Amino acid sequence: MAGESETVGGIDVPRWLGALVPIVLLAVLVGALLVSSPFAGVQSGEPLPDVAVSHTTLPNDETVVLHVTNAGAEPVTIQQVLVNDAYWSFSMAGTDDRTLAPAESARIVVPYHWEPGWDIGVALLVDGGATFHHTIVAPQPAPGLTTDLLLLLAGIGIMVGVVPIALGMLWFPFMRTMSDRLLHATLAFAAGVLGFLAFDAGFEAFEVAASVPGSLEGNLLVVTGILGAALLVQAVSARQGESPLALAYMVALGIGLHNLAEGLAIGSAFALGRASLGAFLVIGFMIHNVTEGPAVVAPVARGERPSLAHFAALGALAGLPVIAGGWIGSLAFSPTLGALFLAIGVGAILQVDWEIASMIRDRGRLGTASNILAALVGFALMYATDLLVVL
Amino acid sequence: MPSIGYDAARELTERFESRLLARLEDGVSRRAVLGGAGTLGAAALGATGSAGANGDHGGGSDEDHHGKFGAAREYDDDGFDPHEFLGEFETGELLGATDADGRRIREFELDARDVPIEIAPGVSFTAWAYNGQVPGPTLRAMEGERIRVKFTNRGSHAHTIHPHLRNLDPAEDGIPQNGPGVLETDESYEYEWIAQPAGCHFYHCHSLPLKEHIHRGLYGALIVDPDPERVRENPAAYTNHHASQITPELEDELVARARSRNELPEYEYRGVHDYTDHDGVNEMVMVMNGFDTNFDGDNEVYAANTRAFAYGVGSTDGKGNWEAGETKKPIRIDRNELQRVYLLNTIEFDLINSFHTHSQFFDYYDHGTTLTPTHKTIDTIMQCQAQRGIVELDYSDHGSGLYMFHAHQSEFAELGWMSFFEVV
Repeated sequence: MAGESETVGGIDVPRWLGALVPIVLLAVLVGALLVSSPFAGVQSGEPLPDVAVSHTTLPNDETVVLHVTNAGAEPVTIQQVLVNDAYWSFSMAGTDDRTLAPAESARIVVPYHWEPGWDIGVALLVDGGATFHHTIVAPQPAPGLTTDLLLLLAGIGIMVGVVPIALGMLWFPFMRTMSDRLLHATLAFAAGVLGFLAFDAGFEAFEVAASVPGSLEGNLLVVTGILGAALLVQAVSARQGESPLALAYMVALGIGLHNLAEGLAIGSAFALGRASLGAFLVIGFMIHNVTEGPAVVAPVARGERPSLAHFAALGALAGLPVIAGGWIGSLAFSPTLGALFLAIGVGAILQVDWEIASMIRDRGRLGTASNILAALVGFALMYATDLLVVL
Repeated sequence: MPSIGYDAARELTERFESRLLARLEDGVSRRAVLGGAGTLGAAALGATGSAGANGDHGGGSDEDHHGKFGAAREYDDDGFDPHEFLGEFETGELLGATDADGRRIREFELDARDVPIEIAPGVSFTAWAYNGQVPGPTLRAMEGERIRVKFTNRGSHAHTIHPHLRNLDPAEDGIPQNGPGVLETDESYEYEWIAQPAGCHFYHCHSLPLKEHIHRGLYGALIVDPDPERVRENPAAYTNHHASQITPELEDELVARARSRNELPEYEYRGVHDYTDHDGVNEMVMVMNGFDTNFDGDNEVYAANTRAFAYGVGSTDGKGNWEAGETKKPIRIDRNELQRVYLLNTIEFDLINSFHTHSQFFDYYDHGTTLTPTHKTIDTIMQCQAQRGIVELDYSDHGSGLYMFHAHQSEFAELGWMSFFEVV
């Protein structure tokens, strides 16, 4: 009987009640444990304190700001701060006192006259005498958040993000005239480009995750972000069906998230006072990103040509995040959010690669020599041009 | 003939005063505003965390741009006062009896305990301590006496007491390999030592691992005062001069100095101090020590007498103004008194420690075993671990105010071994 209820011992039990039973029992058990706390006496020593310095900001050459999180299981009190092996005065912002509850974040503001280029070694001394060290390598004053900087970063973003993608999209009329074989190879080339970007952003995500406070499990956060984004995008496209235009938007989104990361890198280089975006670097970014243009439009090369508004939207989605990334990065973004953004980008790219592969398979054969070689060329070209853009 | 009348001068002075006051007030408020602005800027910059109230400030009353070096805030635990410790001498109990050699017997009681101590404001350290304090009590006896220490170990580890004295019975040396060996928890032993030679000495636990037992706090000063009668009998033993160089004048001076060393007011054999122009002598014990709070084989806290910056100022604006704190304050000294510092180095993990005085030169008696200085007119002295000596300072012609003294390893100074005399 597939009805609304099941007969248990002669009593009709609604089906939904059956689904709730384990949850209700768990809630009762948790409640009982909280009330009676039978394990209160079970303690083997004290959990170790853990204070993470996720990042630092240097608003001027007389101030050091440490962004700290209590990554341990117990409250921890910042008793003393040592700067370059000397006790130093400090104040705390973003919290009521010097004690941080588990997972609580705050800022430690140290009035210290530092010297650009000379490393600053900071140690936080907590109640029991444990120390937590952080080194600010080759500090430089951050330019601060000014309209000029925002405009500058927007200009850079347009040059390295929007312009090259727009240029790449100009291949579209040529791509409409391609043979199926060549177009499939172009799509495979785009898949190779995206594959490279997945690795590029993935390594970056794990690197940033190293600065994520331990209790937030940075590496697992990245893995969850990658799988979550891939599965979510897959679910959306499974529900909507595979339209070439939708795939183009997915490619644009994946590339956009990657470009967000590129913007973050540029912006944080500015925030750290390390930006030397010479003409060479801008040119490198342009050559690197021009390959992303054809990747975006390749899915719609057959069939009805989408309206120009769609092209503009695709280009904006893929290119404009460089600007947003630059702005966020220059504000000394939190590594937790940074790692998550990067991971989501990787997940989206992986799903898009899967989608491109199935598109080629639907229209012809995927595993041809030309397709495979085109993917390899896309990958290798990205590697080669990536060498031009080391910040 | 002054070119300005008294009334005009008073008026001018008043105008300057009010202008100065106005400027001072302005300066204070401007600093406060700038400090607040800095915090707001920092809040705006942070992507995470809420913009919020400025927490309690670190070192001092107002913010200045270069920051303030020194430990933040005052000490909480009033179980140990380094200022009181300076002049606390444990003279034990003089027993009526003498031993077979005719030596007076002076009896002390010590135990060893595990206690948490506050070594920097808010930072506690689980110490192993004689009588629950670090440094242990300063024991003081007269040269030639028999020192009896009734020792009970109440700590969780096995301990001993090893004296740096010229002891003639190896069983009393306080080492694991001899005599009673190490004393386990709740075991007791009566150590018997001979108080010789006169000088500034040292006692410490000699259990293994030695580094751990010393670094955890099991040490103290042991002062043996020279007996003026013995100095009279054998003056050459108390100076680096050869016996043939001892003139009657030098002999008299050595005896006078021996008396001066017995300056402790409540000491029953207090001597007659007639060798200086001073009204008296102020004696202080300073044990240079350090604490490795995170077990990395390097000290996080350095101090004279355990507490970082306890002899520092409470706060300063860095412009020459300062205030004494409740627990962090300079050592106030009377310029009319000779200042005598019994200086010991018990530092672990570092090779040497040092003592340096600002605007002042001193005489130094290495180990305190001579009555003529081993170094004359110096402003820095270096000691290896267990080395000790007597520093004599004369501030009689110095102006009133702060005189810094500290280890001249800058690292030690900035990690707590930074102090001041306030001459009044």
